[in-house]
Amino acid sequence: MMNINKDTFVAIFLLLFCGIMINSSFDIEDPGYQGMKASFWPTIVLILLSIMSLVMLIKSIIFQRENNYLKSNNTYKPNVFFKFKNALMCFFMFVLFLAFLDYLGMLIGGVLFVFGLLTLLGGFQLEKIINHLIISIITIGIMWSIFTFGLKVILPEGEILRIW
Amino acid sequence: MIDVILQAFASIVLDPVTLGLMFIGTLAGILAGAIPGFTIAMGVILTLPFTFGMTPVQGLATMLGVFVGGFSGGLMSCMLTGIPGTPSSVATTFDGFPLVRSGKPGLALGLGLWSSFFGGMISAVILVALAPQLAFLGLEFGPWDYFSLIIFALTITVSLSGGNITKGLIAGLLGLFAATVGEDEINGVARFTFGFDEFKQGFAFLPVLIGLFAFSQLLTDVEDDKRAKSPLMSQSGAVVKVEHKQAIIIILGRWINLFRSSFIGIFTGILPAAGGSISNILAYDQAKKASKNRSNFGKGEYDGVIAPEAANNATAGGALIMMMALGIPGDIVTAVMLGALMIHNIIPGPTFIQDEPLLAYGVFIAFFVAHFFMVGLQAFSLRIFLLVTKIPMYVLASVILAYCAIGVFALHNVVFDIWVMFFFGVIGYAMKKLDFPLAPMILGVVLGKLAELNLARATGISDDMMLFLIRPWSLFFLLMAIISIVFPFYQDAKKDTLFTKIYVPISMILLALPLFLMGSPVRMVVGGILLSAGCYFIYKRSSIFKTI
Repeated sequence: MMNINKDTFVAIFLLLFCGIMINSSFDIEDPGYQGMKASFWPTIVLILLSIMSLVMLIKSIIFQRENNYLKSNNTYKPNVFFKFKNALMCFFMFVLFLAFLDYLGMLIGGVLFVFGLLTLLGGFQLEKIINHLIISIITIGIMWSIFTFGLKVILPEGEILRIW
Repeated sequence: MIDVILQAFASIVLDPVTLGLMFIGTLAGILAGAIPGFTIAMGVILTLPFTFGMTPVQGLATMLGVFVGGFSGGLMSCMLTGIPGTPSSVATTFDGFPLVRSGKPGLALGLGLWSSFFGGMISAVILVALAPQLAFLGLEFGPWDYFSLIIFALTITVSLSGGNITKGLIAGLLGLFAATVGEDEINGVARFTFGFDEFKQGFAFLPVLIGLFAFSQLLTDVEDDKRAKSPLMSQSGAVVKVEHKQAIIIILGRWINLFRSSFIGIFTGILPAAGGSISNILAYDQAKKASKNRSNFGKGEYDGVIAPEAANNATAGGALIMMMALGIPGDIVTAVMLGALMIHNIIPGPTFIQDEPLLAYGVFIAFFVAHFFMVGLQAFSLRIFLLVTKIPMYVLASVILAYCAIGVFALHNVVFDIWVMFFFGVIGYAMKKLDFPLAPMILGVVLGKLAELNLARATGISDDMMLFLIRPWSLFFLLMAIISIVFPFYQDAKKDTLFTKIYVPISMILLALPLFLMGSPVRMVVGGILLSAGCYFIYKRSSIFKTI
């Protein structure tokens, strides 16, 4: 399998991104008013971004050749995901929290999110689980109260509380 | 004018609610600055959602409390534990920690605290004096000049944020691009919405900022399993009595160091992106070079504590000067403050001080008052700090992630904003891991719309693009942008090359040209000095040409 320098990978990704966005910029409507067109500024930014991405790609390829990148640590390895285990758990819990926000609401959803994340990151021992439950109820309860009663923000109630 | 100042004074000092908010803000700032892994910028960003329900004066006063408190918070952890709470207190550790270990913790804390106070006061005076003058200068700017100023702000941010300049430019351009998504403000045309109605409003500033900065920082903080589960600090120090009187006497006796360091801080603060993390080291270095007791540095030298602490607090005033006078953020914190003003439909710019004098002078007064709170709260916050350090990072991170979601939702009451925060959080985290600086992207997002608006105005007035090069201020900023982009290459280049010999003199000569074009006698004199100095340096170094 060919090892890819992460900068090369990012540069290719950015070039693809620029290509898609430049293509999309052709769809920007021109209302025919005088002055600068709506697509002008984003196109300039995207062209500059493409040039810089190309520079990054060339630099990364040259750097890879010069430093014999196959031996370097700066290459993708399958176990790299273990390094980001905690971050991935945060992403996963946050997506779950957002996906169920309409049903659970900010209060219940928030408590479950904090409790779930604390337990995933902190461990599953009984004593810790009890602590995590107390922390999540108290902190989210306080935050919810400050925003709801203090700042008069109508936080998502959730279908469960609405039924009650 | 006096009545405006009195009204602003009353709105801060005579309003118990504002004072209470500043009290809480300063306390929160001291704690945010003291906890390693947290930064002052993060403290200010997390304060922003609470300010929606406040008046603009109250909101900015609270954020200023966090800002000023944060700088002094950093000194507590670095002195008591040897671990800098924020990058802006790194140099304080060099002599602060040895001073504490030599049995003078009260004096060390006193020196740090009062140096911060005096540094902040000096920068506050300069802020009040300089910001309105700079704003008058800003009134000369047309859209061409403003556009070029934004380009300069972005390039110098890229240049000073460290690391790879290509990655910095890409980050800045990504920020500018993110600001183009949604309905175009000039023509009202949808851009890059891909058929989603939610995208039409564009990405709100706050979710992007919280995602890029706070969300990604929290993920970095819990990345290491062992570190995330252990208390924030293994050594958390002990409560000590601060030696106020002795510290003040020592600092005032070394007033040259105090003023020099404060001016270094102010100057660094004025430069976009160059914050306390740079100024404290610069000031320490200059204090060491100027000291007669150079050998004492690193062993608990008083000047080694005074210099970085005076400089980092003075940086806050410097950063505010640019924000107040020109509407250009000096760092991430002032970018957040700009965002806070925009939430209240106040657009900062050269006319800001004239249009909103009450708010502008309110900011000046709040900056003064925050320093008094900082001194008053130090002993109390030290006790809270010792308690907070016992909490593991994963607990703080989990709770703050939930708080971010609630805070972001409070902005427009739409769940889409939380998705935006999450999306930019992932991007921010990935960028950090791939060594892309975040500051240029944040500035790009903040200044993107402003840049486009000024470009549209400029091309609307005249389609002659040469005006960007003919107008003196525009030319000045574009030249500064080029010089700032080349600066990292100058830093990395070997000392005896032709490039390093001519970089500074050529920059001086180039900058003299727009100053001559401005026509005003003072500016022409400054231009003449720059030109003469540049030519003199080239003449002096002309031997290099003979050898090549």
